[in-house]
Amino acid sequence: MNEWFADIAYKFQIAFLDGDRYKLYLKGLGVTLQISLFAAILGVAIGTVVALMKLSVKKDGKRTFLSVLAQAYIDVIRGTPSVLQLLIMWFIVMKGCKNGILVAVLTFGINSGAYVAEIMRAGILAVDHGQMEAGRSLGLSKGQTMRYIILPQAIKNVLPPIGNEFIVLLKETAIVGYVSLSDLTRTASQVSSRTFEAFMPLVGAAVIYFIIIKILSKLIELLERRLRKGDHR
Amino acid sequence: MITVKNLHKSFGKTEVLKGIDYHVEKGEKIVIIGPSGSGKSTFLRCMNLLEQPTSGEIWFDGKEITNPGTNINKVREHMGMVFQNFNLFNNLTILENITLAPTKLKRAEKEEARQRAESLLKRVNLLEKADAYPSQLSGGQRQRIAIVRSLAMNPKVMLFDEPTSALDPEMVGEVLDVMKELADDGMTMVVVTHEMGFAREVGSKVVFVDEGIIMEENTPGEFFENPRNPRLKDFLSKVL
Repeated sequence: MNEWFADIAYKFQIAFLDGDRYKLYLKGLGVTLQISLFAAILGVAIGTVVALMKLSVKKDGKRTFLSVLAQAYIDVIRGTPSVLQLLIMWFIVMKGCKNGILVAVLTFGINSGAYVAEIMRAGILAVDHGQMEAGRSLGLSKGQTMRYIILPQAIKNVLPPIGNEFIVLLKETAIVGYVSLSDLTRTASQVSSRTFEAFMPLVGAAVIYFIIIKILSKLIELLERRLRKGDHR
Repeated sequence: MITVKNLHKSFGKTEVLKGIDYHVEKGEKIVIIGPSGSGKSTFLRCMNLLEQPTSGEIWFDGKEITNPGTNINKVREHMGMVFQNFNLFNNLTILENITLAPTKLKRAEKEEARQRAESLLKRVNLLEKADAYPSQLSGGQRQRIAIVRSLAMNPKVMLFDEPTSALDPEMVGEVLDVMKELADDGMTMVVVTHEMGFAREVGSKVVFVDEGIIMEENTPGEFFENPRNPRLKDFLSKVL
């Protein structure tokens, strides 16, 4: 029994303590969080704009050019693997850019934007049409009504799926190892190949992801509860 | 004040309005009645272009608002509208519901808008609900707020689209009372309703719409005592 404990302690030591390796994990976590945070912000911004573009209609009810463009963007992003999108950004589109994190942020932001756009579109469509009519009947423009009335309600509607999207995004960033960025996952795998000991680094990284995502979902839950204050249904 | 010329409206292949001509004078209270599906709500909603007419002209205050060059948002600032389903802004408090349009459209400063909102709320006895959300109010209260929200813009005319149809019976009275008060104050009103008592008491003219045209128009007395159109006779026999 003692031997077993000693073995575990040793594995823990080489995985996290020797050569201050825990700092590597922290650095890796920092990279993961940085990419996720900025990509999430970019994704929501792109997603909202693209959702509005896709919903735009001409007076005769036909789709606008912007709407067709939005659909094309969504189709391309959803229709290709994100690893490929990352490689294409890194080796072709932003070839020569030395800032790997920037490339990753843009890739994941653009990627997430397509999914957020569909979520936002559903959220906007779920707001009762009467809200828009009431705004317009008072003389507010379509844009003003959208901004002050529809979007705030839509965002409340979409918080659960948006939270979902953030979680997926955070985990998806684990593929940045493909373009040799040292995020949490890549750090763990590097440590395990250096120490010939896979269990501790990999499970350790998994536990860190788990905790971060648990915190994230708690935050979203709190936000959701705050935004529901106007509802007593 | 409002002139409608040869108004047609189709939804797809269904022609809902088949040529309506009408004129509303300042201060008049026009009550529009008719069976469901007759086109009376569509007629009303065309007046502020919530429905885009298929053809025909609508003039308001000397301007042809069906002209594509007209800024319809500016026009709507002067035409209040009250909906069957209230359509209060769910994400805003009652006070914010009332002050949003006046402040965003630069009609009043924040403080000025708030004071005006409060005095209007006092008029309908709902001042204590200023910080409540629409979902915390009863249907009758919501509709009174919806009327106040329109009034905050100082409209020249108020359009009512079946304002009491979604209310529980005991709440119809409180909304009609506010409307009667408004009528007494001289507001120009166009009201689509099923409340025959209101039509008789408040209306300066009653209009019967069926099958997409105006079938009869008269003063309330004549309209209800001496209906001429057989369809109106039939309709009245069912609802009175």
